Amino acid sequence: MLALERLTKRFGGLTAVREVSLEVRAGDLLGIIGPNGAGKTTLFNVIAGYYRPDEGRVVFDGRDVTGRPAHEIARLGLTRTFQIVKPFGNLSVLDNVMIGGLTRLPSTRAARADAERVIEVCGLGLHAAARARALPLALRKRLEVARALATRPRLLLLDEVMSGLNPTELVAMIDLVRRLHADGLTLIVIEHIMAAMMRLAQRIVMLHHGEKLAEGTPREIAADRRVIDAYLGEEFVLAEA
Amino acid sequence: MRRALARHRGALLLFGAAALTPIVVRDAYFLDSLVLILLWGSLSAAWNVAGGYAGQVSIGHAAFFGIGAYSAALAGARWQQSPWLGMLAGIALSLVAGAAIGYLSNRLRGPYFALSTIAFSQVLLIVASRWRGFTSGSEGIPVPFRPGFATLGLGHVAWAYLALAVALLYWGIQLWLERSRFGYRLAGVREDEDAAQALGIPARRLKVIAVTVSAALTSVCGTLWAQYVGFVDPFYVFSVDLSIRFALNAIIGGVGTALGPFLGSILITSLETYLRATLSGVQSGFTGIYLIVYGTMLILVVRFFPAGLAGLAARLRARRAGAHG
Repeated sequence: MLALERLTKRFGGLTAVREVSLEVRAGDLLGIIGPNGAGKTTLFNVIAGYYRPDEGRVVFDGRDVTGRPAHEIARLGLTRTFQIVKPFGNLSVLDNVMIGGLTRLPSTRAARADAERVIEVCGLGLHAAARARALPLALRKRLEVARALATRPRLLLLDEVMSGLNPTELVAMIDLVRRLHADGLTLIVIEHIMAAMMRLAQRIVMLHHGEKLAEGTPREIAADRRVIDAYLGEEFVLAEA
Repeated sequence: MRRALARHRGALLLFGAAALTPIVVRDAYFLDSLVLILLWGSLSAAWNVAGGYAGQVSIGHAAFFGIGAYSAALAGARWQQSPWLGMLAGIALSLVAGAAIGYLSNRLRGPYFALSTIAFSQVLLIVASRWRGFTSGSEGIPVPFRPGFATLGLGHVAWAYLALAVALLYWGIQLWLERSRFGYRLAGVREDEDAAQALGIPARRLKVIAVTVSAALTSVCGTLWAQYVGFVDPFYVFSVDLSIRFALNAIIGGVGTALGPFLGSILITSLETYLRATLSGVQSGFTGIYLIVYGTMLILVVRFFPAGLAGLAARLRARRAGAHG
């Protein structure tokens, strides 16, 4: 479904992403981990059309989308959420989600009805009329997901939707992502919380200094010497996860 | 139907009163105020399309106003053409200029965009005031008065109804921006451009469209104003003062609300008329007082009612509903 071919993105003298290649098949749930500054979000920005890569190609559904604007890529069915949430602050939760639906639905009426369903799925039903900026962080993270879902993506990039959540909220978010995956959505998930990642991802890619350092199942990654040295710091005990 | 009436009670009251006034009052001075209130309100509504609904705050909308005013004046004075033709020419020119300015908004954001709009209106001011052979330069152009609707030579009552029709049209356009698919998506762009793009919204295109439409609507009112007042002075029609006035009415009345620009216009226009009449004679030495009053009001509104008069009204209504329920 998605193929990255030797993607490179430089900012001046700094190479934020270096020759990263990846393959994501329909139905995958791929995790991306790595220390701060490893290039995870930059990679998302390149995939979703926010940055033009200096080298390499992004191929989505057999179509070369390298350098295409973000809104076109979103229309093709590839969308993303933002690590630093970007709600439409002055609008209601329902309107936020509805705007996502208007990308494929011609009428506000249909989009509103659809948004109501999406909001239910994401557990935001009680907050439909609330102003987005008034929501606490955990709900704003969910709103990011709900809004993206309203566009009915086939591939969804989630950028740290779990950071900053308390344990209860975290469980709810993991549950939501799992359900979406079970319903057939293909996902790429950036996350710092290893425990969550271990439970969610089928495959994990570890980025370090913009390069792909390791790729494998959660079990393989957790045992990988290079990953432990660069990121985990100590051997990660799988039993905890 | 009843719900729609209830929702637009304020607008109904305002425009209804405006429609009745010429029937009841025949006083030219009063009717003049009415025409100006409606025209300035419509101009702020036009500004609101870009500044409020699209979030592209311009302080150079006088440029489009001036384009409309000059198009009509030149059409009449230089080529003996109907001002309606001039209006069309003004719309065409403003569409082009608006698209250019709108395109700039993709490069320059926030204050930089606002500054570039000022620069644009100043450039037009220089052109209009220096190009003597074509525009008569800084002397300005008297707009010929030829009675009749085709030549826009109307009496006070007809002007009041024409201004009311324009006001209703612009109010309707804003309502459409609040309800329509285009309007919702534009609101998304205003609130967060990156997030809007992630949802498949062509943010840049929508911004350009909004600014372009806003420019054309402003130009139409510029034409009407020139015909109404009968004289086009480059230093007035392209002035930053005027641009600020468009923004000020909308901000005081309620940015991004359909009725706000008209509420702001009622307040500012009548206040200005009053201050002019009572305080600003040469002897009284209060010539610039209106600037101080504007400034104070702006500060008070932004500090205490950031949603403007329209927001204040909504808040009072909510409180009353709360007290009853």
